Amino acid sequence: MKKSILAISLMSVLCSGVASANLHINGFASIKGGMSTGSDKSLYGYTNEWDFKNESLFAIQVRSDLGDRLSVTAQLMGRGSNDFDARFEWAFLSYELTDNMTFNAGRLRTPFYIYSEFMDVGYAYEWSRVPRSVYGLGFDNIEGVSLYRTDQLGQFDSTLQLVYGSFDGEAGFGPTQLQNLAGLSWQLGQDWYSFRAAYFSAKVTIDTLALNPLLDGLAGAGLGALVREMNFDDDKGTFFGLGLTVDRENLIAVAEYNKVDVSGSLFAKRTNYFVSVGYRINEYTPFISYESVDRKAKSDIYQPFLPVLPSPGLRELVVGTIESQAAKTNTVNLGLRYDFHPSAAFKAQYSSEKNKISDQRNDALVVGVDIVF
Amino acid sequence: MNVRSITILLSSVLLSAGLVAEPLAVIVHPTNVAELSAEDVSRLYLGRGRTFSDGNSAIPINLAEGMPGRERFDERALNRSSAQLKAYWSKLVFTGKGTPPQEVDSFDEMLKLVATNPSIVGYVPAAAVDERVRVVLQLD
Repeated sequence: MKKSILAISLMSVLCSGVASANLHINGFASIKGGMSTGSDKSLYGYTNEWDFKNESLFAIQVRSDLGDRLSVTAQLMGRGSNDFDARFEWAFLSYELTDNMTFNAGRLRTPFYIYSEFMDVGYAYEWSRVPRSVYGLGFDNIEGVSLYRTDQLGQFDSTLQLVYGSFDGEAGFGPTQLQNLAGLSWQLGQDWYSFRAAYFSAKVTIDTLALNPLLDGLAGAGLGALVREMNFDDDKGTFFGLGLTVDRENLIAVAEYNKVDVSGSLFAKRTNYFVSVGYRINEYTPFISYESVDRKAKSDIYQPFLPVLPSPGLRELVVGTIESQAAKTNTVNLGLRYDFHPSAAFKAQYSSEKNKISDQRNDALVVGVDIVF
Repeated sequence: MNVRSITILLSSVLLSAGLVAEPLAVIVHPTNVAELSAEDVSRLYLGRGRTFSDGNSAIPINLAEGMPGRERFDERALNRSSAQLKAYWSKLVFTGKGTPPQEVDSFDEMLKLVATNPSIVGYVPAAAVDERVRVVLQLD
Protein backbone atom coordinates (compact mmCIF):
# COMPACT_ATOMS: atom_id res chain seq x y z
CA MET A 1 0.00 0.00 0.00
CA LYS A 2 1.28 3.40 -0.95
CA LYS A 3 1.38 5.48 2.18
CA SER A 4 0.92 9.16 1.66
CA ILE A 5 1.20 11.53 4.60
CA LEU A 6 -2.50 12.15 4.19
CA ALA A 7 -3.32 8.47 4.46
CA ILE A 8 -1.22 8.20 7.59
CA SER A 9 -2.85 11.19 9.23
CA LEU A 10 -6.22 9.85 8.16
CA MET A 11 -5.44 6.52 9.77
CA SER A 12 -4.49 8.19 13.04
CA VAL A 13 -7.84 9.96 13.01
CA LEU A 14 -9.65 6.74 12.31
CA CYS A 15 -7.87 4.68 14.95
CA SER A 16 -10.08 5.52 17.89
CA GLY A 17 -8.64 4.86 21.29
CA VAL A 18 -5.18 5.89 20.23
CA ALA A 19 -4.31 9.21 21.84
CA SER A 20 -2.78 11.30 19.09
CA ALA A 21 -2.07 15.01 19.08
CA ASN A 22 -3.51 16.01 15.74
CA LEU A 23 -2.45 19.52 14.83
CA HIS A 24 -4.37 21.70 12.37
CA ILE A 25 -2.77 24.98 11.41
CA ASN A 26 -4.79 27.48 9.42
CA GLY A 27 -4.33 31.14 8.80
CA PHE A 28 -5.88 34.16 7.23
CA ALA A 29 -4.67 37.56 6.20
CA SER A 30 -5.96 40.80 4.78
CA ILE A 31 -3.82 43.35 3.03
CA LYS A 32 -5.77 46.53 2.48
CA GLY A 33 -5.06 50.02 1.34
CA GLY A 34 -7.45 52.90 1.45
CA MET A 35 -8.08 56.59 1.74
CA SER A 36 -10.87 59.13 2.04
CA THR A 37 -11.59 61.51 -0.83
CA GLY A 38 -11.04 64.74 1.10
CA SER A 39 -8.98 66.09 3.97
CA ASP A 40 -12.18 66.67 5.95
CA LYS A 41 -13.70 63.26 5.25
CA SER A 42 -11.97 60.78 7.55
CA LEU A 43 -13.74 57.41 7.89
CA TYR A 44 -12.83 54.05 9.49
CA GLY A 45 -9.42 55.45 10.36
CA TYR A 46 -8.58 56.51 6.79
CA THR A 47 -7.54 60.03 5.91
CA ASN A 48 -6.92 61.51 2.49
CA GLU A 49 -3.50 59.87 2.32
CA TRP A 50 -3.13 56.22 1.26
CA ASP A 51 -2.85 53.94 4.24
CA PHE A 52 -1.89 50.27 3.93
CA LYS A 53 -1.84 49.50 7.62
CA ASN A 54 -5.15 50.56 9.13
CA GLU A 55 -7.22 47.48 8.27
CA SER A 56 -4.54 44.95 7.34
CA LEU A 57 -4.12 41.91 9.54
CA PHE A 58 -2.44 38.52 9.82
CA ALA A 59 -3.62 35.59 11.89
CA ILE A 60 -2.61 32.02 12.59
CA GLN A 61 -4.94 29.52 14.14
CA VAL A 62 -3.73 26.35 15.74
CA ARG A 63 -6.09 23.61 16.75
CA SER A 64 -4.85 20.53 18.47
CA ASP A 65 -7.06 17.47 18.82
CA LEU A 66 -5.96 15.76 21.98
CA GLY A 67 -8.14 12.76 21.40
CA ASP A 68 -11.09 11.60 23.47
CA ARG A 69 -13.21 14.55 22.27
CA LEU A 70 -10.90 17.19 23.71
CA SER A 71 -9.26 19.91 21.61
CA VAL A 72 -7.51 23.22 22.10
CA THR A 73 -7.84 26.16 19.71
CA ALA A 74 -5.78 29.34 19.78
CA GLN A 75 -5.80 32.23 17.35
CA LEU A 76 -2.89 34.63 17.25
CA MET A 77 -3.59 37.86 15.39
CA GLY A 78 -1.61 40.95 14.50
CA ARG A 79 -3.57 43.99 13.37
CA GLY A 80 -2.03 46.76 11.34
CA SER A 81 -3.86 49.33 13.46
CA ASN A 82 -1.90 47.93 16.40
CA ASP A 83 1.44 47.87 14.55
CA PHE A 84 0.96 44.12 13.84
CA ASP A 85 1.72 43.28 17.45
CA ALA A 86 0.42 39.73 17.68
CA ARG A 87 -1.88 38.81 20.54
CA PHE A 88 -4.19 35.95 21.35
CA GLU A 89 -7.51 36.91 19.87
CA TRP A 90 -8.96 33.79 21.40
CA ALA A 91 -7.73 30.65 23.09
CA PHE A 92 -10.07 28.00 24.35
CA LEU A 93 -10.48 24.33 24.99
CA SER A 94 -13.36 22.39 23.51
CA TYR A 95 -14.92 19.26 24.82
CA GLU A 96 -17.45 17.41 22.71
CA LEU A 97 -20.12 16.32 25.16
CA THR A 98 -22.04 14.53 22.42
CA ASP A 99 -21.96 14.49 18.63
CA ASN A 100 -24.06 17.67 18.54
CA MET A 101 -22.99 19.46 21.69
CA THR A 102 -19.64 21.11 22.46
CA PHE A 103 -18.50 22.83 25.61
CA ASN A 104 -15.88 25.59 25.25
CA ALA A 105 -13.93 27.41 27.92
CA GLY A 106 -11.37 30.19 27.73
CA ARG A 107 -11.18 33.40 25.74
CA LEU A 108 -14.11 33.28 23.33
CA ARG A 109 -15.66 35.49 20.69
CA THR A 110 -19.10 36.61 21.94
CA PRO A 111 -21.73 35.66 19.33
CA PHE A 112 -23.46 39.05 19.24
CA TYR A 113 -23.79 39.15 15.45
CA ILE A 114 -24.11 36.78 12.50
CA TYR A 115 -20.47 37.33 11.55
CA SER A 116 -19.09 37.73 15.10
CA GLU A 117 -16.94 34.66 15.07
CA PHE A 118 -15.34 35.22 11.69
CA MET A 119 -15.59 38.97 11.36
CA ASP A 120 -11.82 39.18 10.90
CA VAL A 121 -11.80 36.50 8.18
CA GLY A 122 -12.49 38.76 5.22
CA TYR A 123 -12.44 35.80 2.85
CA ALA A 124 -15.66 34.52 4.43
CA TYR A 125 -17.80 37.45 3.22
CA GLU A 126 -18.19 39.86 0.33
CA TRP A 127 -17.54 43.21 2.02
CA SER A 128 -14.19 44.81 2.79
CA ARG A 129 -15.27 44.88 6.43
CA VAL A 130 -18.28 43.88 8.51
CA PRO A 131 -20.75 46.81 8.71
CA ARG A 132 -19.34 49.01 11.44
CA SER A 133 -22.72 50.58 12.20
CA VAL A 134 -23.97 47.26 13.53
CA TYR A 135 -20.68 45.65 14.62
CA GLY A 136 -19.71 48.60 16.78
CA LEU A 137 -20.20 47.50 20.37
CA GLY A 138 -16.55 48.25 21.17
CA PHE A 139 -15.49 44.79 22.32
CA ASP A 140 -15.73 41.31 20.81
CA ASN A 141 -14.22 38.77 23.17
CA ILE A 142 -14.96 37.56 26.65
CA GLU A 143 -13.38 35.17 29.10
CA GLY A 144 -15.83 32.47 29.95
CA VAL A 145 -17.62 29.34 28.87
CA SER A 146 -20.02 28.49 26.09
CA LEU A 147 -22.18 25.62 25.02
CA TYR A 148 -22.65 25.06 21.31
CA ARG A 149 -25.47 22.81 20.21
CA THR A 150 -26.68 21.84 16.75
CA ASP A 151 -29.97 20.08 16.07
CA GLN A 152 -32.14 19.12 13.20
CA LEU A 153 -35.69 20.29 13.88
CA GLY A 154 -37.79 18.83 11.09
CA GLN A 155 -36.61 20.55 7.93
CA PHE A 156 -34.52 23.09 9.84
CA ASP A 157 -30.98 23.21 11.11
CA SER A 158 -30.83 24.77 14.54
CA THR A 159 -27.69 26.20 16.11
CA LEU A 160 -27.88 27.27 19.71
CA GLN A 161 -25.09 28.93 21.62
CA LEU A 162 -25.21 29.70 25.34
CA VAL A 163 -22.53 31.97 26.76
CA TYR A 164 -21.46 33.01 30.25
CA GLY A 165 -18.44 35.06 31.16
CA SER A 166 -16.91 38.44 31.81
CA PHE A 167 -14.99 41.17 30.05
CA ASP A 168 -12.26 43.38 31.43
CA GLY A 169 -10.74 45.88 29.05
CA GLU A 170 -11.29 48.92 26.89
CA ALA A 171 -14.65 49.33 25.16
CA GLY A 172 -14.93 52.97 24.18
CA PHE A 173 -15.76 55.03 27.28
CA GLY A 174 -12.77 53.95 29.38
CA PRO A 175 -11.62 50.91 31.36
CA THR A 176 -14.64 48.63 31.31
CA GLN A 177 -15.75 45.66 33.34
CA LEU A 178 -18.64 43.47 32.35
CA GLN A 179 -19.67 40.94 34.96
CA ASN A 180 -22.19 38.11 34.69
CA LEU A 181 -22.32 38.46 30.94
CA ALA A 182 -24.86 35.84 29.95
CA GLY A 183 -26.94 35.18 26.92
CA LEU A 184 -27.66 33.10 23.91
CA SER A 185 -27.79 33.17 20.17
CA TRP A 186 -30.05 30.93 18.16
CA GLN A 187 -29.94 30.36 14.44
CA LEU A 188 -32.56 28.46 12.50
CA GLY A 189 -32.29 27.82 8.82
CA GLN A 190 -32.32 25.62 5.79
CA ASP A 191 -29.79 25.16 3.07
CA TRP A 192 -30.16 28.63 1.55
CA TYR A 193 -31.50 30.87 4.30
CA SER A 194 -31.34 31.37 8.05
CA PHE A 195 -32.86 33.49 10.81
CA ARG A 196 -30.99 34.44 13.90
CA ALA A 197 -31.77 36.00 17.25
CA ALA A 198 -29.41 36.89 20.09
CA TYR A 199 -29.85 38.28 23.57
CA PHE A 200 -27.17 39.12 26.12
CA SER A 201 -27.09 41.01 29.37
CA ALA A 202 -24.31 41.98 31.77
CA LYS A 203 -23.53 44.15 34.78
CA VAL A 204 -21.60 47.11 33.40
CA THR A 205 -19.03 49.14 35.31
CA ILE A 206 -16.96 51.72 33.44
CA ASP A 207 -14.37 54.18 34.69
CA THR A 208 -15.41 57.01 32.36
CA LEU A 209 -12.13 58.93 32.54
CA ALA A 210 -13.25 62.02 30.61
CA LEU A 211 -16.43 62.37 32.66
CA ASN A 212 -14.96 61.88 36.12
CA PRO A 213 -14.28 65.57 36.86
CA LEU A 214 -17.91 66.42 36.09
CA LEU A 215 -19.28 63.46 38.07
CA ASP A 216 -17.01 64.28 41.03
CA GLY A 217 -18.21 67.90 40.91
CA LEU A 218 -21.86 66.83 40.88
CA ALA A 219 -21.31 64.44 43.76
CA GLY A 220 -19.61 67.26 45.68
CA ALA A 221 -22.63 69.49 45.05
CA GLY A 222 -24.89 66.90 46.68
CA LEU A 223 -26.25 65.58 43.39
CA GLY A 224 -25.40 61.92 43.99
CA ALA A 225 -28.76 60.90 42.55
CA LEU A 226 -27.87 62.48 39.20
CA VAL A 227 -24.41 60.92 39.28
CA ARG A 228 -26.00 57.48 39.72
CA GLU A 229 -28.22 58.11 36.69
CA MET A 230 -25.21 59.09 34.58
CA ASN A 231 -22.35 56.81 35.54
CA PHE A 232 -21.78 53.11 34.79
CA ASP A 233 -21.75 51.53 38.21
CA ASP A 234 -22.96 47.94 38.10
CA ASP A 235 -25.71 48.96 35.67
CA LYS A 236 -27.60 46.47 33.56
CA GLY A 237 -26.52 46.36 29.93
CA THR A 238 -28.62 44.55 27.35
CA PHE A 239 -28.08 43.53 23.76
CA PHE A 240 -30.78 42.24 21.45
CA GLY A 241 -30.06 41.30 17.87
CA LEU A 242 -31.90 39.83 14.88
CA GLY A 243 -30.43 38.59 11.62
CA LEU A 244 -31.38 37.11 8.28
CA THR A 245 -29.21 35.52 5.59
CA VAL A 246 -30.13 34.37 2.11
CA ASP A 247 -27.77 32.60 -0.26
CA ARG A 248 -29.71 31.25 -3.20
CA GLU A 249 -28.49 30.58 -6.72
CA ASN A 250 -26.40 33.71 -7.23
CA LEU A 251 -28.16 36.01 -4.81
CA ILE A 252 -26.61 36.80 -1.45
CA ALA A 253 -28.57 38.95 1.00
CA VAL A 254 -27.88 39.71 4.65
CA ALA A 255 -29.69 41.94 7.13
CA GLU A 256 -29.02 42.57 10.79
CA TYR A 257 -30.67 44.68 13.42
CA ASN A 258 -29.73 45.29 17.03
CA LYS A 259 -30.69 47.32 20.10
CA VAL A 260 -28.22 48.10 22.87
CA ASP A 261 -28.75 49.89 26.17
CA VAL A 262 -27.19 50.31 29.58
CA SER A 263 -29.94 51.34 31.96
CA GLY A 264 -29.14 53.81 34.75
CA SER A 265 -26.32 55.39 32.72
CA LEU A 266 -25.93 58.16 30.15
CA PHE A 267 -25.39 55.49 27.46
CA ALA A 268 -27.59 56.54 24.52
CA LYS A 269 -30.10 53.88 23.45
CA ARG A 270 -28.70 52.40 20.28
CA THR A 271 -30.69 51.02 17.37
CA ASN A 272 -28.56 49.85 14.44
CA TYR A 273 -29.24 47.92 11.29
CA PHE A 274 -27.88 47.11 7.85
CA VAL A 275 -29.17 45.50 4.69
CA SER A 276 -26.81 44.10 2.07
CA VAL A 277 -27.46 42.52 -1.32
CA GLY A 278 -24.90 40.92 -3.61
CA TYR A 279 -25.09 39.01 -6.85
CA ARG A 280 -22.57 36.39 -7.94
CA ILE A 281 -21.54 36.50 -11.59
CA ASN A 282 -18.95 33.74 -11.86
CA GLU A 283 -15.88 35.04 -10.03
CA TYR A 284 -17.34 38.50 -9.56
CA THR A 285 -19.70 39.53 -6.80
CA PRO A 286 -20.82 43.15 -6.87
CA PHE A 287 -22.74 44.25 -3.77
CA ILE A 288 -24.51 47.23 -2.29
CA SER A 289 -25.37 47.81 1.36
CA TYR A 290 -27.05 50.38 3.55
CA GLU A 291 -26.27 50.91 7.25
CA SER A 292 -28.00 52.98 9.88
CA VAL A 293 -26.98 54.11 13.37
CA ASP A 294 -29.42 55.78 15.73
CA ARG A 295 -28.30 56.64 19.26
CA LYS A 296 -30.95 58.46 21.27
CA ALA A 297 -29.63 60.57 24.12
CA LYS A 298 -31.38 60.08 27.47
CA SER A 299 -32.72 63.59 28.01
CA ASP A 300 -35.03 62.41 30.77
CA ILE A 301 -31.98 61.90 33.00
CA TYR A 302 -31.32 65.62 33.45
CA GLN A 303 -34.89 67.00 33.10
CA PRO A 304 -35.86 66.54 36.79
CA PHE A 305 -32.52 67.97 37.91
CA LEU A 306 -32.58 71.19 35.85
CA PRO A 307 -34.20 73.26 38.66
CA VAL A 308 -31.70 72.07 41.28
CA LEU A 309 -28.47 72.35 39.27
CA PRO A 310 -26.66 75.21 41.06
CA SER A 311 -25.24 77.15 38.09
CA PRO A 312 -26.11 77.72 34.42
CA GLY A 313 -22.58 76.57 33.54
CA LEU A 314 -23.03 73.22 35.29
CA ARG A 315 -26.49 72.86 33.77
CA GLU A 316 -25.03 73.37 30.31
CA LEU A 317 -22.26 70.88 31.01
CA VAL A 318 -24.66 68.16 32.21
CA VAL A 319 -27.08 68.69 29.32
CA GLY A 320 -24.24 68.86 26.80
CA THR A 321 -22.60 65.68 28.11
CA ILE A 322 -25.79 63.67 27.95
CA GLU A 323 -26.96 65.08 24.61
CA SER A 324 -23.55 64.51 23.01
CA GLN A 325 -24.13 60.76 23.32
CA ALA A 326 -26.65 61.07 20.50
CA ALA A 327 -25.66 59.98 17.00
CA LYS A 328 -27.44 59.44 13.75
CA THR A 329 -25.64 58.24 10.65
CA ASN A 330 -26.49 56.50 7.41
CA THR A 331 -23.87 54.73 5.34
CA VAL A 332 -24.01 53.48 1.78
CA ASN A 333 -21.43 50.95 0.57
CA LEU A 334 -20.74 49.91 -3.00
CA GLY A 335 -18.24 47.20 -3.72
CA LEU A 336 -16.96 44.25 -5.65
CA ARG A 337 -15.44 40.94 -4.66
CA TYR A 338 -13.34 39.15 -7.27
CA ASP A 339 -12.32 35.54 -6.58
CA PHE A 340 -9.12 35.57 -8.61
CA HIS A 341 -7.57 32.59 -6.80
CA PRO A 342 -8.96 29.52 -4.96
CA SER A 343 -7.67 30.90 -1.65
CA ALA A 344 -7.75 34.64 -2.19
CA ALA A 345 -10.26 37.32 -3.05
CA PHE A 346 -9.66 40.83 -4.29
CA LYS A 347 -12.08 43.44 -3.00
CA ALA A 348 -12.82 47.07 -3.63
CA GLN A 349 -15.35 49.03 -1.62
CA TYR A 350 -16.47 52.63 -1.44
CA SER A 351 -18.27 53.73 1.73
CA SER A 352 -20.01 57.03 2.25
CA GLU A 353 -21.31 57.93 5.69
CA LYS A 354 -23.69 60.79 6.30
CA ASN A 355 -23.77 62.25 9.80
CA LYS A 356 -27.36 63.46 10.15
CA ILE A 357 -26.61 65.57 13.22
CA SER A 358 -23.61 67.54 11.93
CA ASP A 359 -24.70 67.15 8.30
CA GLN A 360 -21.13 66.09 7.52
CA ARG A 361 -20.33 63.43 4.93
CA ASN A 362 -17.34 61.12 5.39
CA ASP A 363 -16.08 58.50 2.98
CA ALA A 364 -13.41 55.88 2.34
CA LEU A 365 -12.28 53.92 -0.68
CA VAL A 366 -10.55 50.65 0.16
CA VAL A 367 -8.98 47.99 -2.06
CA GLY A 368 -7.28 44.84 -0.87
CA VAL A 369 -6.86 41.11 -0.83
CA ASP A 370 -8.25 38.60 1.69
CA ILE A 371 -6.50 35.25 1.94
CA VAL A 372 -7.05 32.00 3.80
CA PHE A 373 -4.30 29.42 4.15
CA MET B 1 -1.91 -4.80 -11.82
CA ASN B 2 -5.26 -6.53 -12.17
CA VAL B 3 -8.17 -5.73 -14.46
CA ARG B 4 -10.00 -3.74 -11.80
CA SER B 5 -7.10 -1.38 -11.22
CA ILE B 6 -6.81 -0.88 -14.95
CA THR B 7 -10.49 0.02 -15.18
CA ILE B 8 -10.12 2.55 -12.38
CA LEU B 9 -6.94 3.93 -13.83
CA LEU B 10 -8.53 4.21 -17.23
CA SER B 11 -11.66 5.89 -15.93
CA SER B 12 -9.67 8.35 -13.87
CA VAL B 13 -7.45 9.12 -16.85
CA LEU B 14 -10.49 9.69 -19.03
CA LEU B 15 -12.12 11.78 -16.33
CA SER B 16 -9.08 13.93 -15.80
CA ALA B 17 -8.87 14.47 -19.54
CA GLY B 18 -12.45 15.70 -19.35
CA LEU B 19 -13.53 13.13 -21.93
CA VAL B 20 -16.18 11.51 -19.82
CA ALA B 21 -18.76 13.16 -17.60
CA GLU B 22 -20.20 10.01 -16.16
CA PRO B 23 -22.32 9.81 -13.02
CA LEU B 24 -20.72 9.69 -9.60
CA ALA B 25 -21.65 6.99 -7.12
CA VAL B 26 -21.70 7.70 -3.39
CA ILE B 27 -20.29 4.60 -1.72
CA VAL B 28 -20.02 2.96 1.70
CA HIS B 29 -18.68 -0.30 3.10
CA PRO B 30 -20.76 -3.37 2.04
CA THR B 31 -21.61 -4.16 5.68
CA ASN B 32 -23.02 -0.68 6.15
CA VAL B 33 -26.75 -0.97 5.49
CA ALA B 34 -27.61 2.67 6.10
CA GLU B 35 -29.60 4.59 3.50
CA LEU B 36 -28.40 8.01 2.39
CA SER B 37 -30.54 10.55 0.55
CA ALA B 38 -29.05 13.40 -1.47
CA GLU B 39 -29.93 15.63 1.48
CA ASP B 40 -28.07 13.31 3.90
CA VAL B 41 -24.98 13.33 1.69
CA SER B 42 -25.07 17.11 1.52
CA ARG B 43 -25.39 17.37 5.31
CA LEU B 44 -22.47 15.01 5.89
CA TYR B 45 -20.15 16.81 3.50
CA LEU B 46 -21.09 20.22 4.89
CA GLY B 47 -20.42 19.10 8.45
CA ARG B 48 -24.09 19.51 9.42
CA GLY B 49 -24.63 15.85 10.09
CA ARG B 50 -22.22 13.37 11.57
CA THR B 51 -24.13 10.13 11.74
CA PHE B 52 -25.86 7.59 9.51
CA SER B 53 -29.60 7.03 9.83
CA ASP B 54 -28.89 4.19 12.30
CA GLY B 55 -26.98 6.54 14.59
CA ASN B 56 -23.51 5.22 13.80
CA SER B 57 -20.93 7.91 13.17
CA ALA B 58 -20.15 8.73 9.56
CA ILE B 59 -16.83 9.95 8.17
CA PRO B 60 -17.10 11.62 4.77
CA ILE B 61 -14.00 11.57 2.59
CA ASN B 62 -13.48 14.10 -0.15
CA LEU B 63 -11.39 14.16 -3.27
CA ALA B 64 -8.58 16.72 -3.08
CA GLU B 65 -9.37 20.22 -4.30
CA GLY B 66 -8.66 20.73 -7.97
CA MET B 67 -9.19 17.05 -8.87
CA PRO B 68 -11.57 16.58 -11.82
CA GLY B 69 -14.31 14.75 -9.93
CA ARG B 70 -14.25 17.16 -7.01
CA GLU B 71 -15.80 20.16 -8.64
CA ARG B 72 -18.54 17.97 -10.11
CA PHE B 73 -19.29 16.54 -6.68
CA ASP B 74 -19.35 20.03 -5.14
CA GLU B 75 -21.86 21.17 -7.71
CA ARG B 76 -24.04 18.05 -7.95
CA ALA B 77 -24.11 16.88 -4.35
CA LEU B 78 -23.61 20.14 -2.47
CA ASN B 79 -25.07 22.56 -4.99
CA ARG B 80 -22.21 24.99 -4.47
CA SER B 81 -19.17 26.16 -6.37
CA SER B 82 -15.73 25.32 -5.01
CA ALA B 83 -15.17 28.99 -4.07
CA GLN B 84 -18.47 29.08 -2.16
CA LEU B 85 -17.46 25.97 -0.27
CA LYS B 86 -14.08 27.41 0.57
CA ALA B 87 -15.78 30.46 2.10
CA TYR B 88 -18.28 28.20 3.87
CA TRP B 89 -15.55 26.13 5.49
CA SER B 90 -13.42 29.12 6.41
CA LYS B 91 -16.35 30.22 8.59
CA LEU B 92 -16.37 26.94 10.46
CA VAL B 93 -12.63 26.38 10.62
CA PHE B 94 -11.85 29.80 12.06
CA THR B 95 -14.50 29.49 14.71
CA GLY B 96 -13.26 26.08 15.79
CA LYS B 97 -16.66 24.63 14.88
CA GLY B 98 -15.60 22.17 12.27
CA THR B 99 -13.02 20.90 9.87
CA PRO B 100 -13.70 20.03 6.25
CA PRO B 101 -13.75 16.33 5.30
CA GLN B 102 -10.36 14.67 4.98
CA GLU B 103 -9.15 14.55 1.40
CA VAL B 104 -7.56 11.86 -0.72
CA ASP B 105 -5.63 12.23 -3.93
CA SER B 106 -7.35 9.63 -6.09
CA PHE B 107 -10.52 7.60 -6.57
CA ASP B 108 -8.37 4.53 -6.02
CA GLU B 109 -7.45 5.69 -2.54
CA MET B 110 -11.10 6.57 -1.91
CA LEU B 111 -12.19 3.02 -2.83
CA LYS B 112 -9.55 1.50 -0.57
CA LEU B 113 -10.58 3.58 2.42
CA VAL B 114 -14.30 2.91 1.98
CA ALA B 115 -13.55 -0.81 1.56
CA THR B 116 -11.70 -0.94 4.87
CA ASN B 117 -13.92 1.10 7.19
CA PRO B 118 -17.72 0.83 7.66
CA SER B 119 -17.86 4.44 8.92
CA ILE B 120 -16.47 6.01 5.77
CA VAL B 121 -18.51 7.58 2.97
CA GLY B 122 -16.88 8.36 -0.36
CA TYR B 123 -17.64 8.80 -4.02
CA VAL B 124 -16.18 7.45 -7.27
CA PRO B 125 -17.25 7.40 -10.92
CA ALA B 126 -20.09 4.88 -11.24
CA ALA B 127 -17.94 2.78 -13.60
CA ALA B 128 -15.22 2.40 -10.98
CA VAL B 129 -17.53 0.78 -8.42
CA ASP B 130 -16.63 -2.82 -7.54
CA GLU B 131 -17.72 -5.49 -5.04
CA ARG B 132 -15.61 -4.06 -2.22
CA VAL B 133 -18.11 -1.22 -1.76
CA ARG B 134 -21.85 -0.58 -1.80
CA VAL B 135 -23.50 2.24 -3.76
CA VAL B 136 -25.96 4.26 -1.65
CA LEU B 137 -26.72 7.04 -4.08
CA GLN B 138 -26.04 7.86 -7.69
CA LEU B 139 -25.45 11.47 -8.72
CA ASP B 140 -26.13 12.06 -12.42
